[in-house]
Amino acid sequence: MITMISATFGICLAALLLFLVRRDQLHISHGLGWTLAILLSALLGFAPRLFDATAELLGVSYAPILGVALAIAALVIKALLTDIEVSKMKVRQQRLIQKVALLESALQEATGRPPIDD
Amino acid sequence: MAPSNTHEKKSTFPRAAVLIPALNEEAVVAQHITDIRAAVDVPVWLIDDCSADRTARIAADAGARVIKLPARLGAWGATQTGIREAAAKALDYVVTMDADGQHDPSIIAALVKPVLRDECDVVIGSAPERGSTLRRFAWRLMRLTSGLDCGDLTSGFRVLNNRAINLLAGARASYLDYQDVGVLLMLEQAGLRIKEVPVVMPPRANGKSRIFSSWLIVVSYMAHTLILGTIKRRRPWNAR
Repeated sequence: MITMISATFGICLAALLLFLVRRDQLHISHGLGWTLAILLSALLGFAPRLFDATAELLGVSYAPILGVALAIAALVIKALLTDIEVSKMKVRQQRLIQKVALLESALQEATGRPPIDD
Repeated sequence: MAPSNTHEKKSTFPRAAVLIPALNEEAVVAQHITDIRAAVDVPVWLIDDCSADRTARIAADAGARVIKLPARLGAWGATQTGIREAAAKALDYVVTMDADGQHDPSIIAALVKPVLRDECDVVIGSAPERGSTLRRFAWRLMRLTSGLDCGDLTSGFRVLNNRAINLLAGARASYLDYQDVGVLLMLEQAGLRIKEVPVVMPPRANGKSRIFSSWLIVVSYMAHTLILGTIKRRRPWNAR
């Protein structure tokens, strides 16, 4: 039963991913990361014994908690990478705003034309 | 482009500008710019951080070059805008000043001297006796966490030479949100020489701080600054 549920979830997620990339709602670089996540969850969904064996190998007595722990770790890493990307975007935006201001100022000095209102 | 006259006499005067980041200072900015222009013979650049009032127009009428930001960046973002322009024009030094009239233009010449003599790369107009007990306690905490040996950590009255200009115009400096601990640590760790010159700073001519307008903002600023100082402080194994 759980195999069916996780498989269905994986297939729905894959379909959504394809839809978003096709509609240009999701950048393909993010799509690659999510594809990997979907493949992994599909693998675990179709082969739960593989997961149990891995948990036993790692000394985890209750196998599902390994999945939860790995999922949390993946989300934390994802959040950190997102924040790094947001920081870069913020700096890029700030420097662009500064550049626009300087260009408008130079243009005004040269031609007398005032800055364009937002 | 026509070839330049090789016999042209190059100016021996250092090229400089006064940078004033400003936000909603229409009440005092005209007089402040007039006082600066009377005290020193360098261009005044006012960087308008999206003021809602007539700061930009009044500053332009008072004789300043106005650089209007299309979106609000904060005091450091506005200052860095002026620094980037100074870097592009390869100025020899800039003087940064607040727009609220706290910084006395008549002291500019004294502040600039150590930089012109190459005694240091950065001069801070220092007035550690100003401000409340709470502010001085905050500075103490900032010094403790950052390891900076500076009396007035938050003074915006500074002179930056060409080396400092080029460093602070860079993208790394754009990661900073405030002009104090982060900027001073960046300057220090790049090996630039920082000197403090005592100045007198009267109370703001225009009421309370534009930047720290609520306790929540002050708390957020302190958390930000103390953590940044702790993370970026010079390690004992990198001691001077």
